[in-house]
Amino acid sequence: MTNLDLDRVAFEAAVAERYRLSGRRFGARAGAGVAKRAGTIAAALIFPASLFLVWQVASLFDLVPAQILPDPRLVLATFREFYDTGDLAFHARISLLRVLQGFALGAGAGLLLGIAMGLSRRVREFVEPLFLALAQVPALGWIPLVMLLVGIDEALKVIIIAKAALIPVTINTSRGILNVPRSYREVGEVLTFGRWQTLTRILAPASVPTVFTGIRYGLTNAWLALVAVELLASSEGLGYLMVWGRQLFQLDLVIMAMIVVGVIGFLLDWSLGLVERRLQRWEAAGS
Amino acid sequence: MSAVTIIPPAGEAAATTEPKRRWNGLILPAVLILLWEGASQSGLVDDRLLPSLGTVAGRGWSELADGRLAVDIASSLARDVSGFAIGSALGIPVGLALGLSRTLDRFVGPTFNAAKQIAVFAWIPLISVWFGVGEAAKIAFIALAAFTPVVVNTWAGARSVPRTLGEVADVLALSRWQRLTRLEIPSALPSIFVGLQLGLIYSWLATVGAEYFMTIGPGIGGLMTEGREHFHMDLVILGVLLLGGIGLGLNKLAALMETSALRWKRY
Amino acid sequence: MPDQGTLEIRNVFKRFEVAGRTVEALSGIDLSVAPGEFVSVVGASGCGKSTLLRLIVGLDRDYDGEILLDGRRLAGPTLDRAIVFQEHRLFPWLRVEDNVALGLLKSALPAPEKRKLVREHLELVGLSAFAGAYPAQLSGGMSQRVAIARALVNRPDILLLDEPFGALDALTRAYLQAELRRIVRSEGITAVLVTHDVEEAIFLGDRIVVMHPRPGRIAEILPVDAASGQDRASTSFAHLRETVLTGLGAGHPALPGRLAA
Repeated sequence: MTNLDLDRVAFEAAVAERYRLSGRRFGARAGAGVAKRAGTIAAALIFPASLFLVWQVASLFDLVPAQILPDPRLVLATFREFYDTGDLAFHARISLLRVLQGFALGAGAGLLLGIAMGLSRRVREFVEPLFLALAQVPALGWIPLVMLLVGIDEALKVIIIAKAALIPVTINTSRGILNVPRSYREVGEVLTFGRWQTLTRILAPASVPTVFTGIRYGLTNAWLALVAVELLASSEGLGYLMVWGRQLFQLDLVIMAMIVVGVIGFLLDWSLGLVERRLQRWEAAGS
Repeated sequence: MSAVTIIPPAGEAAATTEPKRRWNGLILPAVLILLWEGASQSGLVDDRLLPSLGTVAGRGWSELADGRLAVDIASSLARDVSGFAIGSALGIPVGLALGLSRTLDRFVGPTFNAAKQIAVFAWIPLISVWFGVGEAAKIAFIALAAFTPVVVNTWAGARSVPRTLGEVADVLALSRWQRLTRLEIPSALPSIFVGLQLGLIYSWLATVGAEYFMTIGPGIGGLMTEGREHFHMDLVILGVLLLGGIGLGLNKLAALMETSALRWKRY
Repeated sequence: MPDQGTLEIRNVFKRFEVAGRTVEALSGIDLSVAPGEFVSVVGASGCGKSTLLRLIVGLDRDYDGEILLDGRRLAGPTLDRAIVFQEHRLFPWLRVEDNVALGLLKSALPAPEKRKLVREHLELVGLSAFAGAYPAQLSGGMSQRVAIARALVNRPDILLLDEPFGALDALTRAYLQAELRRIVRSEGITAVLVTHDVEEAIFLGDRIVVMHPRPGRIAEILPVDAASGQDRASTSFAHLRETVLTGLGAGHPALPGRLAA
């Protein structure tokens, strides 16, 4: 900020105050930032803490039957037991491996297909309609078909997970490349860039944010598909734990597995989110 | 977990496809179908694994003739629409409240964001305990699947009402209600429609899932499960075609509704 | 014509916290505007002129001093003051007539009366033919005219204009300046215009307030006699322009201050 426009600062300060936004943009001191952050976290915890309290009280006084909602302490005890015996790590590891295999396959194929469709008009004309038609069938819809073709073993899971990841990665990649503004390409033409230079200096960097968003959705979709196939056909993994708990009417186990599914899902998405923010730094700076 | 597959609009390059070239898109499917038919007719592939087109069409016709197919389709659609309606009827007000109230955003928002990380199918065991495995459980699950994306997008839309327009509402001294109906809802509407479209996609996915996992009653999922158990590949392929066709139809319907509601965005 | 619309600004101070430091945006502003008068405020970026407008309209209530309209202290926006912003700020989902009607939402008038007012004001800004159009179908100048109609439809006592033509091309700007002068004269409304365009200030204003930055303060107030304001080509117009520019230059260092570290 070399030329500080006081009117603009005044406007933003007034707006920020009226909408009670955080003052970080205006260079709030670090100490105030920490306090604010602590306040945000505290506010975020009050609601779940009170839900938890209601749950605990309801269980203590037998207000809800344990077959409907088990005592939270029981869920905790189950978690500790599964953690100590290593069963939790075993099942979580299997689920993670499956999702990573399927995702790597689906995202890899999606990137190739998306790049081909984005760069070549011919590929797009011939392949895209069929691709979009097949994408209309929900990932779960393929399960009976794939079961008949490859059985119910690992191949089934990997194929379904890969399909779930493939669709958003392909679509975002091809659209990301296609939507690079014509003005950028024209800059390349004026500078007499070759094909390779256009690709590496213009198309790739300009489409990276969209492509990466597709990769992130792909991973989320893959995790969703994993839970579904494990619920349907598996004898290991977090989904299987839930089916098993459901059959034994051990709701504590079901809820524990749900929470683990949520936490792993969050961590997967969060780690890609970190990468995404790094990749899009130039966007934030421009706005 | 809300896997939000927003399809970015096709850019200028994609829009320049000449009408004549559109037919190119049919070439690949036609070649694949010919290969399929050839493999199946010539006996190169076990026709139990790859029934000929005629067999699939015949199966479709016989299912249609004895009225079962109509019942299956109608049951799946009714389930899907009821779940979607409940989920979005709850999701829009919840999303608006989260987006417009700073307090709710701070206190309830993070909990919602945490809960949505649980892949939606992971709720099935719990829902089947709470609601049984009948119609109520299926609809509850479908509603949950639609609810999440509707809330996420309505929330995002409501919190990004342009501040400059908010000041116009201040200067014109609009009441709370006028502000909501003239400014906040219209401004969030494009986002809400994105949420509804995603909700429709997710509720259709959830309908299939609900019918696999809670197998009582008619439906396309039940039809496919039956086909798999009896190794009737023609029935399974018929199911895949139906799922794709109906999903496509629902999306087209949603897109149509969106264009008519957002006329002002067309110019 | 109007006996209402007396604006009194008495010893107003406005401070902001920027990067942990206090910046004085307005310092001891004293100004009174008579009913039916058109006051132009000119100054370089950062002199606080837009801030002053935001205080008058009531978007910002955190200041020291007094701002009185017809002797009453202002508390928040009310319909007796209207503002036209630099951007038109029309609601994109409402047709032109509904955007103008927004100004009447809080009014107690019966519906037919409101419709009549909307029609009249669209006519006033020359956009009757576009009543049913959406904002995205209009040009920048047309949008700004709709914004003026929206501001006037409620017959406010005072009209505030925050660089209303700053984002328009030169030809449209000149045309709209003439239009605005015609409208304001015919309505007999009190107006305060903030601008950095000196010619615009002279052409429209009865008086010109020259402001200096850091801290934002009034440097001088120059009267515009009716004859010299009318004709941009006249020598008196040119002379006044020189005077204002000199007034601006004196408090306007070649390099804008070094507030931001």
